[in-house]
Amino acid sequence: MTTTSGNPALSQESALEVLAFLVTAARTQTEEAAEYAPMRLLMGARALAQGMAPYVGDNPSLRALVDEVAALEPVRTPTRDREAYLSSLDALCERVADTLLAQEGRA
Amino acid sequence: MSSSSPLPSNPVYDAIRTRRVTRAMSPEPVDPDLVAAVLESARWAPNAGNRRLQPVLPISDPVTLRLLRAISPGMVPRPPAALVICVDAARAEEFGFPPRYRGLYVDVGTTAATLLLAAQSVGLGACPVTSFSRSAAARILGLRNGLSAEMIVCLGHPADTQPATLSALPSGEVSPPGS
Repeated sequence: MTTTSGNPALSQESALEVLAFLVTAARTQTEEAAEYAPMRLLMGARALAQGMAPYVGDNPSLRALVDEVAALEPVRTPTRDREAYLSSLDALCERVADTLLAQEGRA
Repeated sequence: MSSSSPLPSNPVYDAIRTRRVTRAMSPEPVDPDLVAAVLESARWAPNAGNRRLQPVLPISDPVTLRLLRAISPGMVPRPPAALVICVDAARAEEFGFPPRYRGLYVDVGTTAATLLLAAQSVGLGACPVTSFSRSAAARILGLRNGLSAEMIVCLGHPADTQPATLSALPSGEVSPPGS
């Protein structure tokens, strides 16, 4: 996978790993607790971020986001402390938005 | 024993109480003799009728382990070894069990509990995984018809840092409130 500038964003090996995760998670989630759904999505994002990390370069906002997502706790669920969980996800979503804006030169 | 009684202290109880799921493993290889010792413990796992319809497959090939992890959304560690607990539905049918008889899966649990404690006893970390695609696992492992993978027990040396874990229930509370 490449960026619009033609630079690689992800190796084919990492892309296939994420693809496999998403497809198999769709199947396993049909038999798992609903609280696992956001956890699995974040695990997929984490795998994607870990694959992107070597290719991010010196883009500071993208680097910060990728590093943060790559380091997400893999087993956190919303059941035990829902408010804190939602707050942290809202904050992460804001940083995603900030990064998207920065990529468009609108930071 | 009431909830206020002191907990017993002996090697078995201490192993039960101190065992933890290892969600981060070092890349250090695992001594095959240790894996064999853990695998051997499955022979003594509680098993209905001693029919042994839950064969356990040892996996140490790095490529197979990597592919298994790829199709296992619940596999957090990158294990250097694993034991795959299967259910032999074909043999179960010969004994007269109906399809998907629940006792077969209870014995997957007793086998897993035994393997986890055996791993603890030889100084290995272990992580049970049930969140994986059964159909994809069958392809990767080359399982014959009638044999299904039901649990993967990852084995390895614990990494220095572990992800956060869910805490144990309070002392004396063996089931959540309202259950």
